[in-house]
Amino acid sequence: MKILVIEDELALCETIVSYLEEEGYRCEQAATVELGSEKVNLYEYDCMLVDIGLPDGSGLLLVKELKKCHPETGIIIISAKNSLDDKISGLDFGADDYLTKPFHLPELNSRIKSLLRRRKFEGKQELVIDKITIQPENKQVLVGGEPLQLTRKEFDLLMFFVSNRGRVLTKESIAEHLWGDFADSADSFDFVYSHIKNLRRKLLERTGTDYFQNVYGTGYTFIA
Amino acid sequence: MKLQTKINIRFLGVTFLVFSFAGVLFYFALDKVVDQNIREMLESRKAYILLNLQQNTPTSESIESPDHSIFIKRTEKMRQYTVFSDTLAFDQEEKELIPFRKMTFTVHSGGQFYEVILLQSLLESEDLLIVIVSFMVVLFVLVLLALFFLNRWLSNNAWKPFFKSLSVLNNWKIGESQVVSFDRTGISEFDQLNSTLENMMQKIRTDFVNLKEFTENASHEIQTPLAIIKSKLEMVLQDKTLDDQQHQRIRAAFESTIRLSKLNEALLLLSKIENRQFVKTSEIDICALVQSKLDYLEELFSLKQIEVTVRLDNQVVFRMNPLLADILINNLVSNALRHNIENGQFIISCANQELTISNTSQHGEMDGSRLFLRFAKQTTSNESNGLGLAIAYEICKNYHLDLNYSYSDGMHHMKISKKS
Repeated sequence: MKILVIEDELALCETIVSYLEEEGYRCEQAATVELGSEKVNLYEYDCMLVDIGLPDGSGLLLVKELKKCHPETGIIIISAKNSLDDKISGLDFGADDYLTKPFHLPELNSRIKSLLRRRKFEGKQELVIDKITIQPENKQVLVGGEPLQLTRKEFDLLMFFVSNRGRVLTKESIAEHLWGDFADSADSFDFVYSHIKNLRRKLLERTGTDYFQNVYGTGYTFIA
Repeated sequence: MKLQTKINIRFLGVTFLVFSFAGVLFYFALDKVVDQNIREMLESRKAYILLNLQQNTPTSESIESPDHSIFIKRTEKMRQYTVFSDTLAFDQEEKELIPFRKMTFTVHSGGQFYEVILLQSLLESEDLLIVIVSFMVVLFVLVLLALFFLNRWLSNNAWKPFFKSLSVLNNWKIGESQVVSFDRTGISEFDQLNSTLENMMQKIRTDFVNLKEFTENASHEIQTPLAIIKSKLEMVLQDKTLDDQQHQRIRAAFESTIRLSKLNEALLLLSKIENRQFVKTSEIDICALVQSKLDYLEELFSLKQIEVTVRLDNQVVFRMNPLLADILINNLVSNALRHNIENGQFIISCANQELTISNTSQHGEMDGSRLFLRFAKQTTSNESNGLGLAIAYEICKNYHLDLNYSYSDGMHHMKISKKS
């Protein structure tokens, strides 16, 4: 899986790249529209992460260009400008997703995974993790061939954990994944806790395995 | 009061004063002339009578003229001077007392003194005065009316370009990109005003765009380093070799970064609202908006086992930006949730074009005057950045809505209503 990261902030770019490389992706970097355009025209990528505010122009130009030569490549815009206009025009140009800085790395990872699943396998792929089988297309979870009833939030939560297996997920990033912009509007940590408690119980009952590990009051890790 | 009306009233007032003063002066002058005239007439009659009496000595004691205007009678004393006086006499023809001017003098004729009284009717001159004065009054009213309409017509014409500029200004929206240009009026003052306005509007627009760019760039410049810090810390948190204490410390730093970025976002939002950068508006059905959030709301409230009461029978429609409407409702609802208590109450109701959100709280009555100020935290809750209500207030202000706080029966009430 090849991912092109176009981000002019070197430190951020490196963090993203090293995080994604740990996930097993091959990453390439570009810091300007010019460089990005060169790479987009020369090589094929499975996914492109593009920052809008680049030193020599707007990343939206690259979105346009990529859509023309490789329409099958997934595009996620990462921008510090939380402006509605940018979001709308970005998605209009053919971007698949939009993340506002500062985002959580697990969130980015999860979105890339879900985007690639949709793009590459048209959503039909099954994810098998230990005794759990997940069908992302119809939001089904099977344990030993038998469907496991999960609420929508619990399903989202499971997908988020599965996408970031073995990593520490902070309560903040979980809350933001589940509620997006609403994350700060409620006692979201309590909700994170209650949702995880329910999911943990359901999985434990059916599989006999506790997949969740508490991490020093920081968050949780999904181990499988 | 309209400028035209004001000018007209003053103009007419001054004209009226001048005319009245001139009228009074004119009256007295006319009166004087008439009086002078009558004196001269009496003087010439006196000369004639003197001449006549010196040639012919009167035969009888007293003589009266047939028209009762001359009385001559013999007298003992000689008076050296002539006396003028006014008197009333009965006029046979008019059958009423009419004013007369009387002239009394004595004449020496044939060794005898005669006192002569000459009377001159003032009736004619009075009639003349009345005619002249009433003519003057009519003229005066006519001139006044003519001046009034002329003035109005003239100033209407003269101020036309001004009102045109005014309507252009009224329709001007800062966020819209089209350039405003005024027509040439041919009146140098207005042309000057218009060109000054054009320059000013141009300047305002550039400033506005600059400010907009600045706030967005500032956001970018702050969010990017924050994103770096956040992602680096997130990477460190993955390190399995960290001990508990190190974990706690990194987590504390991580949490602060998140708070900082949320604060940054909130401040940016506030300045964007203040700069009126949310131009597009539409009719927002507030009840429908709340309804669409109910699923989410119920989930949020269920954990604290808060009793949620929803009364959305009456429609409440406000004209505002959809995004801001969303933020407004979110802020108020999350505020009501954040400060709520276990097994507390939450009531949201629409009635009479008002939306009221009520909640129980662990705090008593708040200071309503400080509640909507920035950073006016009245609790020590870490999750609140103290900007939620300031943003809600600013949004309401932007759309001429009132946001009121009240406290009764142990519940806090936030009420949004149209400004009366």
